[in-house]
Amino acid sequence: MFGEDDIVKSHKARAAIIINLIILSFIIIIVRLWYLQIYRGDVLYKYSLENRLRKEVVKAPRGLIFSRNNQLLVNNIPRFDAIVTPQYLKNKKTTLKKLSQTLNMPLESIEKILKKNRSQARYRPVVVKKNISQKEVAVLETEAAKMPGVSVDTFISREYRDAEVGGHLFGYIGEISQTQLPKYRKRDNFDYKLGDFIGKAGIEEKFDLDLRGDDGFQFMEVDARGRMKRVVSSGPLFGEIENRPASPGNSVRLTIDRDMQITAFKALEGKVGGAVAVDVKTGEILTMVSRPSFDPSKFSRGLTSEYWAQLVNDENNPLRDRNIQDHFSPGSTFKTITALAALEEGIVTPNTEWMCGGAFKFGRRYYHDWKRGGHGLTDVYKALRRSVDVYFYKIATLMDIDVLAKYAMELGFGRKTGITLPRETSGLIPTKEWKKKRNGEEWQKGETLSCAIGQSFVLVTPIQLAMAYAAIANGGILYRPHLIKEIFNNNGDILKKIEPEIVSRVGYKKENLDAVRKGLYQVANMQGGTAWWYRGRGIRMAGKTGTSQVMSMTKDELFSKCEEMPYRQRHHGLFAAFAPYDDPKVAVAVIVEHGCHGSSAAAPVARDIITTYMKKYEPELHAKYAEEDKAIAKKAWLAAKRKKEELEKKKQEAEASSENSEGEE
Amino acid sequence: MNLSALLEVLKKYDFSFFGTCGAIFMMGIVNLYSATHASASAHLASLYKTQLIYFFAAIIIGMAVSFIQPKNFYRYSIFFYLLTIFLLVLVLFLGHKGMGAQRWIVLGPLRLQPSEITKLSVIFVLARFFAKYNPDKELGLRDLLVPFVLAAIPTILIILEPDLGTGLLVLLIFMAIAFYRKLKWRTIAIIGILGMLSGVIMYNFGLKEYQKKRVLTFLNPGSDARGSGYNAIQSKIAIGSGKFLGKGFKKSSQASLNYLPENHTDFVFSIFNEEHGFVGSLFLIALYLILFIRFVWLATSVTRIFDSIVVIGIASLFFWHTIINMAMVTGLLPIVGLPLPLMSYGGSSLMTFGICCGVATSISNSRNLF
Repeated sequence: MFGEDDIVKSHKARAAIIINLIILSFIIIIVRLWYLQIYRGDVLYKYSLENRLRKEVVKAPRGLIFSRNNQLLVNNIPRFDAIVTPQYLKNKKTTLKKLSQTLNMPLESIEKILKKNRSQARYRPVVVKKNISQKEVAVLETEAAKMPGVSVDTFISREYRDAEVGGHLFGYIGEISQTQLPKYRKRDNFDYKLGDFIGKAGIEEKFDLDLRGDDGFQFMEVDARGRMKRVVSSGPLFGEIENRPASPGNSVRLTIDRDMQITAFKALEGKVGGAVAVDVKTGEILTMVSRPSFDPSKFSRGLTSEYWAQLVNDENNPLRDRNIQDHFSPGSTFKTITALAALEEGIVTPNTEWMCGGAFKFGRRYYHDWKRGGHGLTDVYKALRRSVDVYFYKIATLMDIDVLAKYAMELGFGRKTGITLPRETSGLIPTKEWKKKRNGEEWQKGETLSCAIGQSFVLVTPIQLAMAYAAIANGGILYRPHLIKEIFNNNGDILKKIEPEIVSRVGYKKENLDAVRKGLYQVANMQGGTAWWYRGRGIRMAGKTGTSQVMSMTKDELFSKCEEMPYRQRHHGLFAAFAPYDDPKVAVAVIVEHGCHGSSAAAPVARDIITTYMKKYEPELHAKYAEEDKAIAKKAWLAAKRKKEELEKKKQEAEASSENSEGEE
Repeated sequence: MNLSALLEVLKKYDFSFFGTCGAIFMMGIVNLYSATHASASAHLASLYKTQLIYFFAAIIIGMAVSFIQPKNFYRYSIFFYLLTIFLLVLVLFLGHKGMGAQRWIVLGPLRLQPSEITKLSVIFVLARFFAKYNPDKELGLRDLLVPFVLAAIPTILIILEPDLGTGLLVLLIFMAIAFYRKLKWRTIAIIGILGMLSGVIMYNFGLKEYQKKRVLTFLNPGSDARGSGYNAIQSKIAIGSGKFLGKGFKKSSQASLNYLPENHTDFVFSIFNEEHGFVGSLFLIALYLILFIRFVWLATSVTRIFDSIVVIGIASLFFWHTIINMAMVTGLLPIVGLPLPLMSYGGSSLMTFGICCGVATSISNSRNLF
């Protein structure tokens, strides 16, 4: 290279500066060491001997959950654990023996727990028994002096006011597990640590980031037995000690009405199914109940293995929310959509009358009506009122499946509604393309017939049904269902207000919507309607029954009595409705698994929910309707009486046989 | 090669670097044993054995490097630099994840940490650049542009891993080299003022409180993310409790009770102080000082400017690690997670320092051997 000797030499001045800087920085370190080791040495030595400084986590209370009327639904309550700190344990044998007597648990299991945690630092407390009683707390606190190393740990647990009511809705919280830790850290960009509680289902899961507060911490000085003495704050010794108070989580106000929840829960007593009610003008969910259910409180107090086994082994799967996580064949509740599609497409007008016998021949197959003898001359109103299968078979022959699917999808079927709850399922609306993709087969026209009455491939969730019926009721606005009205902080300041969100406006003709609504009205309010016997009073309910076959059946099975079949083969009963008819306010969808009939099993649930709504929110309207219903009922009763008397007379006179009117559906 | 020739080589061979480093390492291994032997986990308790194996591997590789002629460092510096950039990019895409960061490439039993060798390759490439273009002139702002880019590319890649500590270290090495290469005092003042101003503005006006924390957590996930300074406080207690003479070998209560996490990596100096006190750390600091002065002295006694700059770069690599770690555990700087050279547990860093010693020895030997 170049003759560079001189160049290197010219850098000597800088090298000298560098050496001086190095020496200077080590002098700074040495001064610092002198300060810590000589000047402050004695104090710090003491600290190190007993390790008197301990960092304590201050748990943040979780946000509360309120009903739409500000009733407290989910609360926090203190819970107590018995803990042992190995470092401070003296006379290990006698202390543990005493502890085992107090807690009424075998000595071996306490030793086993301690053994299991042996590898962690000895100053770390070990939870020996979770959730001890008030009495045990009192004994431990008074006997503490005799049991060094044993103490009581308090922390906040979740209390769900109505236990099983809305278990699915609220979900539950649980300790984050080792395997979940990295996943959740990444998902929420939040520094979780083991032992943190997180929402694991329902609202607790979906709104976890809002509900969960931020844990604080403080430095505590402890005595030789590990007992907290005082909070240590900043000083010259340790410099800036940052003690951070816990900031509580934000609370939420739901759209849920507690009274309707309880009504729905009671109405589903002894049944397996779900019910959901929504406000037709906003898409707010008023009620959402699924049974069998579970008690989320039991989760947050530390789940017992018995309770967990009971939940998991129940063949009806209590952990599943039937309103959003399960889908069903809608059965006849889907006829409303078929009717609307036929009207919009001009296939029928409200007054198109067709003769409907007991079966409909298509190709080489007979498609049966639920009523053996048929219904006779039928228009759209009657088709809905009496759920005339043949009428819809006929429509299906004139309509392409893709057209039907288009209408169903416009009303929100076949895709997730976007409710703010985890693990929603989308249901299924079949199209030709879907079938081809699924198994490479062409669509069979006969399948359209089955789809038109809500059987075959069609699958819906109760929440979809409720939203679709709400859209029909409100003139064609499909809302996104929502659960949370607002989120507010500890001071009551509203942080976020959730406004109704319109998914789409279907833009169907008013006269067609009116015709369908009228048909639905007659279902419950005209003699011969399939839900006539479950119409209630003062609610003006308009709805549609549905019975969905669990498995395909032969003709004989179809007409055999459902209640006599094995439980697992019985039909599901569905009912979807809105009320009141003149000015719809609430829409409801109910499913009762293996309930046999939409009318007798599901309709009463909807009726009860709507009645509670009307009494609470529209008392005047309810009273007025009830009065009118009473008058109508009286008139009907008188008419029936007169007819009966006439019949009686005729019978006596002629001894002729009269036909027996059958029960509905 | 016959015996007498070998003896001739050994006579001229400069053992000062390996010697000093070996002395520091001896104190380190004793300290590591003391800190971890009582640990409940078998893995921690046997760390000192692993560290010994790493040490011998580092010595062998370092010695091998010492027989490479310095002109080859010059010749292959660009290739070496590009290779490490490639590895840094590679590690971002298919690196092994540990502790929330992506720093390693796994090759069978070997775990390669490209950011470690990057420090060395940046030193070589900067030395080449500064030696080639006007090595006799003082540097202005404009002369810094290209070398700054050369240093900034790996810095950014390392910060993305994310490993803030090592990333900033590369920049510090760059600054040390630029200073040695006669950066004008005026330019230093300008850079200093600009840096300070922009830092203050960014921190006070640009970021909100929670954003600052987010950024810090993102850049350095291994740090105490909840910002409490627990480790720093326990470290100070450990150091202070050593007092003048220390508690003695294997007597550290902070380590044995596990109050001080990471006591085998970042916080070895705290444990050393607790056990050997003020006197012990004076001795240790003296050893480090000897090593650094030896480095700088070598830098001024070589004949080629490239060699001189390389030695200054290596010296700064050692020095920054040492001073930042010491300042961090004594509570003078925030915890950034840099190991103490030759004292902290860790194969990658030990290997780096071994190779650095090899390079310095090679340069020293080239004056009278080759």
